[in-house]
Amino acid sequence: METSINKYDSLKRIISFDDFDRGFCGWGQLVGNYEQSLDSMNANYQQHTHPQLSNLSHWDSGSHGSWDGTYALKIQTRPITGSRNVSVKRLTFRKASRIRLEFYFTFKPEATELLLSETDVRSVGFLFDLQDPQESGNRVMPHIRFLNAENGEHVQKWQFKRKAPEVTPVGTDGKTITHDHLASEDWEDLPNGHQKLCYNEIPTKVNWHYLRFDFDLASMHMKEMQCNDRIFDLSQIESMKMPAMRNLWCMLNLALFTETDTNKRSLYYIDSVCLSGDF
Amino acid sequence: MLPISITAVIARNETWQNFSYTEPYECGWAREAIVYLRALSQPINVDGVQAHIEYSPDGINWVDSGLKFQLPTQVDEIAWIPITHFGNWLRVSADVPKNSSICVLVSLHFKG
Repeated sequence: METSINKYDSLKRIISFDDFDRGFCGWGQLVGNYEQSLDSMNANYQQHTHPQLSNLSHWDSGSHGSWDGTYALKIQTRPITGSRNVSVKRLTFRKASRIRLEFYFTFKPEATELLLSETDVRSVGFLFDLQDPQESGNRVMPHIRFLNAENGEHVQKWQFKRKAPEVTPVGTDGKTITHDHLASEDWEDLPNGHQKLCYNEIPTKVNWHYLRFDFDLASMHMKEMQCNDRIFDLSQIESMKMPAMRNLWCMLNLALFTETDTNKRSLYYIDSVCLSGDF
Repeated sequence: MLPISITAVIARNETWQNFSYTEPYECGWAREAIVYLRALSQPINVDGVQAHIEYSPDGINWVDSGLKFQLPTQVDEIAWIPITHFGNWLRVSADVPKNSSICVLVSLHFKG
């Protein structure tokens, strides 16, 4: 435990520390909203499935293991171009402080071909889903993704999304809505956001990456992000924002997602996650 | 530490026709599993159609474990099967005949 958390630069208060050698640690699948029938669920949410505990085993070389243990959380898309999957952890906050999300991650396509396959994973990313405690406040959703590849091009750049999608009703009772905030439209490039991540030489060799994301719950603004050796100033980057919703006060959700650029499953692995706060 | 016990919904509101199967689920950490398969609407012509439990050495290539169970023939009926030895991956498949279909909710329940 001590060794495991020492690889993080956490703030004063550890809100949660999720080492997937201990289990799922509260990470589950993001199910879409519905009313009366599952048919009322937005089609892009229908595809989501449950995350897995993976030892990163491969057909040619056996088990890889995680950063410093056996298991990582695995988020896996379906083998259809453009498919995505999302895992979520649902909390609330007790102090509107600065918070820091850190995690170690890697990604690979399913190794169904004896090819490098470095452009098969479209993206990996993360988001917060937050809501102010005041009725006059907002629901705020900072979204960040690493666009690895798009239409076969090895793009390798960080993007954000600030445009809120259309909110549509679910069912007829007037109590439930949906919005596909992870749809493929409206992603924008982070300034100076190109970054070459270590992918290695075949689809079954895996290297882990570090990510840190700082956000201020008081002002509801992004601050800074670090991925491996690169630091990105996010102080001018806007988050998706919409009027507060009636059942989401002090919500603090974390989500991790991946998309595939080909008809292969994208595999997004998370060694561990540390969420900390300045209180 | 207490053992892990989880429920993974691996197919939700999916209509099975022809050869159908769940997405690969990695579960080498678990020591036992039960598969539940519920029909979400009235199945069409699935009398005698078997679902199969499949194992895999790599999550890509699949073999028939020999474990099988009859698909539910009525809406909301639940078919199930225990599995005690399964390596690192599981999936559920069924070869649904022409002019037959079933809308399924499939969940895996693990203890490890």
